Amino acid sequence: MRDETQPGWLLKVRGLTKIYGDPVSTSVQYTGPKFSTNICPETDAIVACAEIDFELWPGEVLGVVGESGSGKSTLVQLLYFDHPATSGEVYFRPVDGGRTNLLTLSNARKRQLRNTALGMVYQNPRDGLNFSFSAGGNIAEKLIMAGEMNVGRMRQRGSYLLDRTEVPVARMDQSPQSFSGGMQQRVQISKAIANNPPLLFLDEVTSGLDVSVQARVLDLIRQLQRELGVAMIVVSHDLAVIRMLTDRTLVMKNGRIVEAGLTDQILQDPQHAYTQLLVSSLL
Amino acid sequence: MSSILEVRHVSKHFQLHVQNNKHIAALHDVSFDLAAGEIIGLTGKSGSGKSTLMKCIYRTYLANAGQIVLHRADRSSIDLVSANEHEVLEVRRTEMFYCSQFLSVIPRVPAVDVVAESIRRRSGGDDATTREAARSLLDQLGLPRELWDAYPATFSGGEQQRVNVARAIVARPRFLLVDEPTASLDQRTKDVVIDLFLELKAAGTSIVLITHDQHTLDRMSDRRLHLAHGRVQEMVAA
Repeated sequence: MRDETQPGWLLKVRGLTKIYGDPVSTSVQYTGPKFSTNICPETDAIVACAEIDFELWPGEVLGVVGESGSGKSTLVQLLYFDHPATSGEVYFRPVDGGRTNLLTLSNARKRQLRNTALGMVYQNPRDGLNFSFSAGGNIAEKLIMAGEMNVGRMRQRGSYLLDRTEVPVARMDQSPQSFSGGMQQRVQISKAIANNPPLLFLDEVTSGLDVSVQARVLDLIRQLQRELGVAMIVVSHDLAVIRMLTDRTLVMKNGRIVEAGLTDQILQDPQHAYTQLLVSSLL
Repeated sequence: MSSILEVRHVSKHFQLHVQNNKHIAALHDVSFDLAAGEIIGLTGKSGSGKSTLMKCIYRTYLANAGQIVLHRADRSSIDLVSANEHEVLEVRRTEMFYCSQFLSVIPRVPAVDVVAESIRRRSGGDDATTREAARSLLDQLGLPRELWDAYPATFSGGEQQRVNVARAIVARPRFLLVDEPTASLDQRTKDVVIDLFLELKAAGTSIVLITHDQHTLDRMSDRRLHLAHGRVQEMVAA
């Protein structure tokens, strides 16, 4: 038996909740899969996600599936501090050995953490990249935020990362605006891993790409995971992506986790009615 | 001989919520022990519960009742029915391997790397050495040389099966679950596969085997557990 006083987790999330609008005390109680809605019947507040509990281990790849509006993107955006959470606790091993709730940190400290220990790849490259900067400039931005000041080293790191993610280094000084969708995603990935974070969030990164381009991006993510041993939370509505990349999976509906398990178990022996519907919808 | 696996009163049913809550009983009160270094062959008609039992052991299926206790190399024990997912993943990584009936691999990875990856995960080693070991095993299994660097998704059933078997062999697990390892192979390749599994057994691996092939069953199994309608009908020495 594992010693419970020495937990193996990298990230521990407890009761994470995000409500948009004006909640009342019963907003969480009267929303969720049981009511098939995430809209509070009294105030129309939207319970984007509520009572989220899970642990992620170092180097682990965790999938989050669910239909549009299930709260899966909100979940990673809260963890990346894109939006403030309404309530909950998030513990991260590299911060005070996992003893401090990250949600209580100052904004400056959150920003610093984002830039040094976390990486995010958004579905829409415009959310993750600044199109008025060059591809190399986007990577440099992340390096500067982490304290790098030497231009030569930044260019070197930038060209290494672009090469590693199969973006032609010759295009380093061009804006990603002129790049193809797949290339923009690869620049985003370069930027996200620029500071070798132990934790990476991937939010629907292959949605909207052609299947052949999708395959190359997925192969790249898998290779990077294997080489860097980085832990990942992979949000996707595509069960094929989840099957290929993840060890464990959380299934979300109406802002709640309805089922969690080993990915092969979720796909072959789904327990919850919603998961069964999701799996039976696979083409 | 001490046992490595104790299956106790395992039951499994499927509740299909999307199909009018249809209830399918799959296993009922299944119990047996597997001794260290033993091979038990699961027999029974299609639909008798053999694969379901194997998947419950691997935790691809969640048993509804009972215990499946694996005695680990470090002398600790784990109940695969109730253990948390991280513990199950660790056991899968270190000592339990499932060689399924159908090859399920990451797409766009060449056959030789599928096998080399299994070696690396088990015992490390650089790309060149592990690839070399993988090639030599694929050669032994008679997989045509021109397929070594091709993607297994395009292979025939028998070719995929050999890649799958190779992956299990090089993992050298303490505990191996094998579902129909010789189904689409010719007699000679069948015997090569059987010999490789028997070498693993000689080195201490315990195996639960499903096969419809009498020759494979005769050569490999020490005991047979016969299932009918999800129940143990009998356990006999081979």
